[in-house]
Amino acid sequence: MFTYLRRITRFGWYNFWREGSLNIATVFVLTVTISLMAFLLVAQGGVKHLIVQIQDKIDISVYLRADLTQEELLTAQEKLSDMPEVQTVIMVSKEDALIEFQERHKNDPILLESLEVVGVNPFYGSLNIRATSPDQYAAILTVLNSTAMENVIHKVDYVEKKTVIEKLSKFISNINAFGLFLALALGITAVLVTFNTIRVAIYDSTKEISIMRLVGASNSFIRGPFIIQGIIAGVIAAFISFLILFLTTYISGDKIESITNGFNLFSWFGAHAIGLFFLQLATGIVLGVVSSLVAIRRYLVA
Amino acid sequence: MIIFETVRKIYSPNIVALKNVSFEINDNEFVSIVGKSGAGKTTLIKLLLREEPLTGGKIFFREKDVATIKPRNLPIFRRKIGAIFQDYRLLPQKTVFENVAYAMEVMGGTDYEVFRDVPKLLRIVGLEDRLNNFPRELSGGEKQRTAIARALAVRPQLIIADEPTGNLDPYHSKDIINLLEKINDLGTTVILSTHDKTVINGLKRRVVTLNKGEIVRDEQRGRFIL
Repeated sequence: MFTYLRRITRFGWYNFWREGSLNIATVFVLTVTISLMAFLLVAQGGVKHLIVQIQDKIDISVYLRADLTQEELLTAQEKLSDMPEVQTVIMVSKEDALIEFQERHKNDPILLESLEVVGVNPFYGSLNIRATSPDQYAAILTVLNSTAMENVIHKVDYVEKKTVIEKLSKFISNINAFGLFLALALGITAVLVTFNTIRVAIYDSTKEISIMRLVGASNSFIRGPFIIQGIIAGVIAAFISFLILFLTTYISGDKIESITNGFNLFSWFGAHAIGLFFLQLATGIVLGVVSSLVAIRRYLVA
Repeated sequence: MIIFETVRKIYSPNIVALKNVSFEINDNEFVSIVGKSGAGKTTLIKLLLREEPLTGGKIFFREKDVATIKPRNLPIFRRKIGAIFQDYRLLPQKTVFENVAYAMEVMGGTDYEVFRDVPKLLRIVGLEDRLNNFPRELSGGEKQRTAIARALAVRPQLIIADEPTGNLDPYHSKDIINLLEKINDLGTTVILSTHDKTVINGLKRRVVTLNKGEIVRDEQRGRFIL
């Protein structure tokens, strides 16, 4: 068995280097395929970052009635916090709201003077609610509009934010769906191109395969070197693809960061480098081996 | 050793290549199959090697019906036969040494056997100084001698040579035929298919003549008559 493995490995290795041009084509196509898949992964990382950024900016502000006691306020906060759809509830008391207003407008004496004219604190205490995901806001709103909360709430500003939130939710789900569709379409195309390139390479060896059969080589003895060639092509393509990804993320890291407001491509690559490398390696080997196996099958019928 | 029993081969749509061909070949015989192009010589060889299925009749190799050999056992069957062709059929990506060694390696020969026997075989066919050359670097005669060395590497019970001199000049043709005779003298059965009159008339061995898929003559110490 060991001799058999050693021999098919040796044949595959020699054949790979001796059949130069066809294997260069195979490596090139595999590199494009693996790189494409890797870049789709990186793009997904970027999209996720953007989604988090957008989601961080969405919340619902609930203005509470002015006559509520601190205890009622805390009860309302607790009730909302217990909802599974709610991620955080931050309470801003009417005093805090006043202090914040004064701080924000400390350079505007007219505004501060007008506050003094009013004589009382005109602000309402509020609860800023953030959902676990944008599509949960509708459920939270249903609870806020229920009779149980009627005595507590003065106003919900969701209506103002509703359109924006809905558009963003739709946009985010569209981006996810489109990204998935694009990844799937490109992935299938790339696999088909790889498969066909390897099929052409093996078709070129049809005569050799018939000679091997004539000499009495078993199917596994014929198939083995082609699988080894597929593995070698896959490994080389994975290394090249990894290098391309490294250089691309290194060069474009800062630019992407300024465009996406904080998503540093190179840092992301650094954090996922080992996983990405093994994923590329596995993709290369699996593509190379499966394509070789499927392509050679038809030539091994006795 | 080999029995052809009313063998028929019809190619689609209705091209008759062989019609009820029957004859026997004994151990250690040197049999030439002659005939014009299209007479059915190559078809006969392909059927014997089970490269193609029979339309009718039977072929026995050492009392085994060739048609009943299971596909997975075909490689084992083919290792008993050394085949030589007009177009040499060498593996272009392998050197002379590797081409001959390949036949031994598919049989499971050890590295020791390969490194011991391949140089010997190449010495027999006169290619001991061409071990590391690729087929593209050899002359026609050298390629054919490499093919003979490869055929011998499996220690075959039978050597089939299909037009082995077809691409060679008279000098190299004689060289190859002498080599086949030498192999036969050492105890291996040889089937030689050719339409080279000079080769056949110089051999003075058994000649089976085919014409339009039928045996028209079968003579010991025969001559090339069409």
